[in-house]
Amino acid sequence: MTILANRNTRVIVQGITGRTGSVQARLMREYGTRIVAGVTPGKEGQTVEGIPVYDSVENAIQRHPADASIIFVPAPSALNAALQAVEGAIRLIVIVTERIPIHDVLKIRSYVQKAGAIVIGPNTSGIISPDKVKMGIMPGNLFKSGNVGVVTRSATLGYEIAGNLTEAGIGQSTCVGIGGDRVTGVTFVDVLKLFQEDDETHAVVIVGEVGRTVEEEAAEYVKSGKFKKPVAAFIAGRSAPREKRMGHAGAIIESARGTAASKVRALQEAGIPVVERPSEITGILKQIL
Amino acid sequence: MRLLEFESKRIFKAEGIPVPRGEVVSSSREAKQAADSMRLPIILKAQAPVGRRRKSGAVLVAEDLEQVAKTANDMLGMRMDGYVVSRVLVEEYLPAAKELYLSVTIDDAKGKPIVLASSEGGTEIEEVAANSPEKIISQEIDPLSELEQVDARRIASQIGLNADSIPKASDILWRLYQVFAKYDATIAEINPLIITRTDSAYAAGAVLTIDDDALYRHDEISAGILERTQDEIEKEAAKLGIAYVRLEGNIGVIGSGAGLAMTTMDLIRHYGGTPANFLDTGGRITREHIQNCLNIVMKNPKTIAVLANLYGGINPMIEAAHGIAEFVGQKRSLVPMIVKIRGNFEEQAWDILERAGVAIVKTIQTEDAAKLVVELSTKGPL
Repeated sequence: MTILANRNTRVIVQGITGRTGSVQARLMREYGTRIVAGVTPGKEGQTVEGIPVYDSVENAIQRHPADASIIFVPAPSALNAALQAVEGAIRLIVIVTERIPIHDVLKIRSYVQKAGAIVIGPNTSGIISPDKVKMGIMPGNLFKSGNVGVVTRSATLGYEIAGNLTEAGIGQSTCVGIGGDRVTGVTFVDVLKLFQEDDETHAVVIVGEVGRTVEEEAAEYVKSGKFKKPVAAFIAGRSAPREKRMGHAGAIIESARGTAASKVRALQEAGIPVVERPSEITGILKQIL
Repeated sequence: MRLLEFESKRIFKAEGIPVPRGEVVSSSREAKQAADSMRLPIILKAQAPVGRRRKSGAVLVAEDLEQVAKTANDMLGMRMDGYVVSRVLVEEYLPAAKELYLSVTIDDAKGKPIVLASSEGGTEIEEVAANSPEKIISQEIDPLSELEQVDARRIASQIGLNADSIPKASDILWRLYQVFAKYDATIAEINPLIITRTDSAYAAGAVLTIDDDALYRHDEISAGILERTQDEIEKEAAKLGIAYVRLEGNIGVIGSGAGLAMTTMDLIRHYGGTPANFLDTGGRITREHIQNCLNIVMKNPKTIAVLANLYGGINPMIEAAHGIAEFVGQKRSLVPMIVKIRGNFEEQAWDILERAGVAIVKTIQTEDAAKLVVELSTKGPL
């Protein structure tokens, strides 16, 4: 079993004719993902790597029923793209686009919640269930199938953690990037709930960083006893200065909550070992698996 | 981006929120001139995009024109969190019968705008929240709708106002929400909202922070404001669309992602080195972009070695490698450099870099690259 997507998930790619969208559509298909159609306004009738392109989600799903969408459109178009997907009854929406205005993200989140769909991101690497399905931009060669769930805020730091696991022979069930922004569609707790129900996931790695309070919330959730599988964590930004925005919008420490120290403390109090360096994650997992 | 107070007030005023009579000045002579036509006493506010200004001598009251000139002179050139004050806001000081707090901000955990109001204006809201949380009224707003006038009125009636000032305060709160929505704000705050003895209401203190990612649709803001960044390298990086923060150390860091860049900084510290900067390439590396990143990092004279830590996911590593190889081939690299690349197309990228004589790390562990660059940096400048 996997969480969120599987081998049979029919995926449309919004923004498929762009530089990123076209390359990533090909890489996802080569990985085994069922890409059924692409969407770019004004490009209906074209194909990208043999994938038919439509003007809108509505037009695409008339010909190609789909369960999920992955969005690569430029930030100013992301709100409209996401709402189109929801309107098209798409249940799972992965938004890769970075630097979407936060007011647009709030609207997307509210709209998606009302429709009962799930949005992953924005500013996310997406989802990979190794050797089965990849709805994201992550390099497939660093992942291998197995029983550890990974959930991360940072895309590339997630690759580093998964790469360490893979190299040590520890495969992954599903890896989810919740996204680097201040507000995202799902949080660590949401993903933990999915991992709780997934028989193939035996342990979970949380990859956090400074800013936001999603790590603290995850710690509270684990502490409450609702999550019953072993968890380990890594937190980036121990040396990051306060009040400085470190790249994407999520990584800014503005109050006492949100510092690396507060996250490490909260996780440890919930009984979650927090490693100091990424490579130490493999040793901890060998102990707790 | 946090606007300066006079810039925030200009917007508040345009949106119908009453603000005290005032003028922004950049010399003590101008300060005196501005105050000459105002009613004494005068409140002077050093303009800097930082909070807690009351506590740091950046907000002072002057009783006569000589004191206005002297205070303005003291404030100009003041350093606040590294920001050098170049403007002072000179305003009529309004005697307050009441000082209230109003704000609209984003509750990250709930993913919704939230309105906060309190009878305890004039102090930091964090302190009110810590000491007397019952004095803060809050209401979440559905981002697909807005703050209704009836809600604004209900909130205003819960913060100890008399019947005459409730309509004024609720109108201001409603307009504050309009500002928040219209200008893509992450914070729109009035602290204090002053109620005078004659029941007039004024936004005496104003904070407006605009979402950086939404500035593209607010030319009216980005065109008309003072530059926020005063650091020359940070300014240039911002122009190139590179997320860069200058730090105190001597090892330049380039990471393809904020979390990865921060981890690289943490590991450099772990092995006894110090990072000279934070730099996130973002997800749009091209040959030119990676060369711009290298240039920015090497502009810092303290930088004596560079570690570029890149993953091929959304970023094309063949392009990155060509960019770096060209940079080195043209002898534009001023200091030794280590490049770690993993992910899609890693082998092609390694090949390009090896042929250009660039030192590369092929393992997955950033630890290995961090150790190497710290060794390089402790050897001192070449």
